[in-house]
Amino acid sequence: MPGRREFLNTLMRGGILAALGLLSGAVIFRSRDGKSCSYGFDCSGCSRSKSCMLPAALEARQTVWQLDMTKCIQCGRCATNCVMSPSAVKCTHAFAMCGYCDLCGGYFKPGTKILTTAAENQLCPTNALKRKFIEDPFFEYTIDEELCIGCGKCVKGCGAFGNGSLQLQVRHDRCKNCNECSIARNCPSQAFTRVPANKPSLMRGLGKERPGTAAKKGGVDA
Amino acid sequence: MKQKIFIIAGLLLLIAVIGIMFTDLFSGKKQEQTNPYDYKMGEIRKTDSNQTAYTELLTIKPALVEIHAIVNGDGDRIYVAGKNGLEIYKGDGKPDGNFSFEGVASCMAIDKRGKIFIGIQDHVEVFDQIGKPAGKWKSVSPESILTSIAVSNSCVYVADAGKKIVYRYDLNGRLINRIGEKDPQKNVPGFIIPSPYFDLALGKKGELWIANTGRHSLEQFSDEGVLNSAWGEASMAIDGFCGCCNPSHFAFLHDGSFVTSEKGIERVKIYSPKGEFTCIVAPPSAFTEGTRGLDLAVDSKDRIIVLDPERKQVRIFVKK
Repeated sequence: MPGRREFLNTLMRGGILAALGLLSGAVIFRSRDGKSCSYGFDCSGCSRSKSCMLPAALEARQTVWQLDMTKCIQCGRCATNCVMSPSAVKCTHAFAMCGYCDLCGGYFKPGTKILTTAAENQLCPTNALKRKFIEDPFFEYTIDEELCIGCGKCVKGCGAFGNGSLQLQVRHDRCKNCNECSIARNCPSQAFTRVPANKPSLMRGLGKERPGTAAKKGGVDA
Repeated sequence: MKQKIFIIAGLLLLIAVIGIMFTDLFSGKKQEQTNPYDYKMGEIRKTDSNQTAYTELLTIKPALVEIHAIVNGDGDRIYVAGKNGLEIYKGDGKPDGNFSFEGVASCMAIDKRGKIFIGIQDHVEVFDQIGKPAGKWKSVSPESILTSIAVSNSCVYVADAGKKIVYRYDLNGRLINRIGEKDPQKNVPGFIIPSPYFDLALGKKGELWIANTGRHSLEQFSDEGVLNSAWGEASMAIDGFCGCCNPSHFAFLHDGSFVTSEKGIERVKIYSPKGEFTCIVAPPSAFTEGTRGLDLAVDSKDRIIVLDPERKQVRIFVKK
């Protein structure tokens, strides 16, 4: 009897040890999966690549987070994943690129027939995009940052139907500049990147580009 | 006996826990984050298939790196121009010639003598049928972006999206006058061109039509710049022109109907000579999302030739 009990005990201990060994192996295997980290380092040989905070910690004082609009797909995670509430990511406007359109793809819901500022016509879920008549047929669009949640709906509409002058950007007066940015961690297109703190914007069209030049440079100028 | 049961139960529990942990670790089914603010573009791109009256007959794949302009010439030869060159195809899609030049052709027209007028950034270059240069016109402005050319028996009309104006030249490149400058006295509101798509074409009777894209309208002007008529409505619905600025291109069928193409919601449609929506030639599903610059031409059999710069194809549509 004692022999059988001892055998079962040994079997149980062995089982637990094997399971633990397998688990540890799996964790190490998973963390080696990443080939390069989001900070631009080559991590193919590093076992801690996914959890490594070193580059961010080193850079934190010299760099800030920014959203690369050439990669952004307007997935909505800037609105839902930021530690700030509302998000530190806001819609910004490159006025030099704007067509000042009456039928603005970033402002109006699809199918809007009468182009008025009525709430039911507006694409923005928080009424943060403001429309102001300038002269026939031009309208100016501005963003109320207090209301903007950084969802990117207007950015998607503007990019699809207009010149792409509405763009999401991290507002550094609101951003906590976390070492491991919660949005960057969840960004499906790796659009979040660190930029030098003295050049914190990645907006396109800030120069007074002529119509068409953005398209020639591979931009979205429609 | 009781202890045995406890041990076995404990073992089973442990195995279950380990199993759950393994499943969780290796299942690969990461929790999908849904986007509560999703802008569903798919719905906008849907059309009623009963309204599509054309079908794609033929696809030509030019060898040019970039393609931007298309014209149907004599004998239904199809001329395609783009980066650093021009290619010619027969109506059945077989190659029929090509030549090279320097620069990116953004627009093109051919006169009755076979002279080829090509708009390259801010100026027009003229070639004969074998590509021999026959003239290089002076640039009007370094800010010019030429987007369309049409040739009549006596004039060459050139659309400039950069300066938002149409120039009328004689056949030798001498500027005669400008068309479409804002003039409240003549009731000309001026062109609103938010993006570099600004097309013009000559109608059934040789009259000049210009796409005032920012106003979502097609406007008919006299040679002297008098606005005679206009039609068009801004709408994402199938009977209107969508987005900030459309139609990006247009051409004419032989009965005077308009063939239009749009960006934003990529679609090619036909409107009657009065501007009433008739049918769809190619719905948004026929194009890659984000396609822009669908230049159009119509051959002698009213086949509609669509330049698809995204897929680098010339696509010929015929009535079903």
